Amino acid sequence: MSNVVLETENLEKVYAIGRRKIKAISDVNLRVNKGDFVAIMGPSGSGKTTLLNLLGCLDRPTNGKVVLDGVDVTRVPEKTLWKFRRYKIGFIFQTFNLLPYLNAIENVELPMEGTGKSKEEMRKKARELLKLVGLAERENHKPLRLSAGEQQRVAIARALANNPAIVLADEPTGNLDSKTGYEIVRLLGKLNIEQGTTIVMVTHDSHKAAHAGRLLFLSDGKLLAKEKQGTHLLKKELVCPYCGREIQPDDAFCSSCGKKL
Amino acid sequence: MAIMISIPAGIMANQKAAQSIIENYNNTITSMQEEINKTSTLIEVSASSRRGMFSGAPSGMPFPGFEQEETFINATVVDEISTIEGVKDIVPFLEVSSEETTEETMSTPRGSFTISRPVYTITGICLNSTLIDSYSILPTNVIDGRNLTEGDSGVIVISLNLSDYYGVYVGDKIEVYDETFKVVGIYNSTARTVYMNITDVQRITDNVGNVSRLDVYAQDISYVDNIAEVIEAAYPELYVTTYEDRLANLERMQEMYETTLENAESTISQTQAVAFQEILIAIVATSLIVLFIMLYTVRERTKEIGVLKAIGFSNWNVMSQFILEGILLSAMAGGVGTLMGIVGAPVISSLLLPSVNPFSTQQSGFPRQNINFGTALAQSVTVTPDPQTLLLAFGIFLLLGALGSLYPAWRAARTSPMEALRYE
Repeated sequence: MSNVVLETENLEKVYAIGRRKIKAISDVNLRVNKGDFVAIMGPSGSGKTTLLNLLGCLDRPTNGKVVLDGVDVTRVPEKTLWKFRRYKIGFIFQTFNLLPYLNAIENVELPMEGTGKSKEEMRKKARELLKLVGLAERENHKPLRLSAGEQQRVAIARALANNPAIVLADEPTGNLDSKTGYEIVRLLGKLNIEQGTTIVMVTHDSHKAAHAGRLLFLSDGKLLAKEKQGTHLLKKELVCPYCGREIQPDDAFCSSCGKKL
Repeated sequence: MAIMISIPAGIMANQKAAQSIIENYNNTITSMQEEINKTSTLIEVSASSRRGMFSGAPSGMPFPGFEQEETFINATVVDEISTIEGVKDIVPFLEVSSEETTEETMSTPRGSFTISRPVYTITGICLNSTLIDSYSILPTNVIDGRNLTEGDSGVIVISLNLSDYYGVYVGDKIEVYDETFKVVGIYNSTARTVYMNITDVQRITDNVGNVSRLDVYAQDISYVDNIAEVIEAAYPELYVTTYEDRLANLERMQEMYETTLENAESTISQTQAVAFQEILIAIVATSLIVLFIMLYTVRERTKEIGVLKAIGFSNWNVMSQFILEGILLSAMAGGVGTLMGIVGAPVISSLLLPSVNPFSTQQSGFPRQNINFGTALAQSVTVTPDPQTLLLAFGIFLLLGALGSLYPAWRAARTSPMEALRYE
């Protein structure tokens, strides 16, 4: 099997506003390999969210293909598209979007409802995931009693519930303060390193994007040809991207140069 | 919900009331018929027209507000009638109103006025053992003490109604026309009548030698017409009723009853039409309420629907979720409504439905002693919902809940996840 998880071919999305047609996305050719941590950057209005919705099967492109795990989802009928959303994709939102009347662990279990897993299996898996995002102690808290960063961690755990092929994150740090935002990005990086989770993150914050592996730039709906490497790739090799000395995967700061990782 | 329980309960109560009135009527007619048939050789002779058709019935004023003059037949007439050919027996009665009177306020369409009427009727019976054995002249249904027998004097048998009215029981003494009588028996009746030896009545009311009515028995039915003719010819001032007259009376009465029942039935069918409309309105209102609540809920939770769909809920998952919520909503409301229905059914149904009481307007024209109006009226207002009605109403309610949430749920399921996520 090929190493490609997600691939788009001449992706185009046109919105009609009155008689005017606006190209939100055009000619996007993107390839995400297994284990990639991709950040798509661009100013607001550049079509980042539109692109992510197309990739996440929440919206249909006007033209072009989205191939997810070897299947052209643009040809999958609306009726069965939910299966791809459930089993292939994990979504992380800017506003977390946890259900307020469910506690943390129930929110994580939600995508597993109706997958045939028993109550105990669901509970066990949800516990593992909460532990992975560092919230093992808070599984019975309702979202309102969690901090914003904690809520986003729950949302990340929820996105991983059905072992998706790819995690799509739409401005995951947009509603967080800078420090918490870095923590979330580091958590995504850690998941990418330790679990091999494939992540596509959309952001307009270049500092946070720099922590990803691959940096792509979206401008006026078009993907720019230049692609940059982020610091993540070096971290993946357990080397400090600033001084080149050895680091541990859990380190928040480089023990040698003291810079924030 | 409460309405849906109350109205059928109200209808059923009305139907039960009407049913019992019809049964009552049928029983009355049948027993009258039987009595008339049994007494085919009886010729009733009375001094005034006010007498009811049957022995044992208390006399009442035919029209309220008019004093009735009491007239009597002299005992010599009895001897003369006994010489007519074919006469087998003559049973004399003496009926006198009590001295004591009560004030009663009568309401008529022309206003209300007060009249005074005697508290009870005294009926004197000829206590001859042969007559007692041959004919039913004593009060029936003695429930306490004993009945009158030959040779009794200074003792009385009173009706249960009168016993309650005065608070006297078997063994007590009561004063009638300034003479003290001992109560030896109580018979079950709503009438207010005192039975005693005819000679006692004649003595205390200064009517020695007088009777107020005679039951003349012919040896054979073939003599009846002849005897009646002879009596009418000899004593034109007396009222003579034969088997045939009584039968004709019964027929007239039957016709009156039937008209009344027809009226009652049309009232019931009208009531049912009204009830049907009300139930229909209740059903439509319920469905609309559920519909609007669920539409509002779906709108309110658009974002949540978007999230659920984004994390992989199918349309059916979302739809069933909202239908379930609609059913739960109406189940809770239904529970409250059922309680309200159980507690409030009598009140609500009497507010929503007229209760059937066919005799209320024509009571004064009826020989009221023959039908127990008290019970008929009481039954027409007792509304208690039975478990079947409750269960049915609850079931319908759940169905309406499901029905009302169908469209909102479908809308929720069809919501585009992307649009829904953008919704704030």
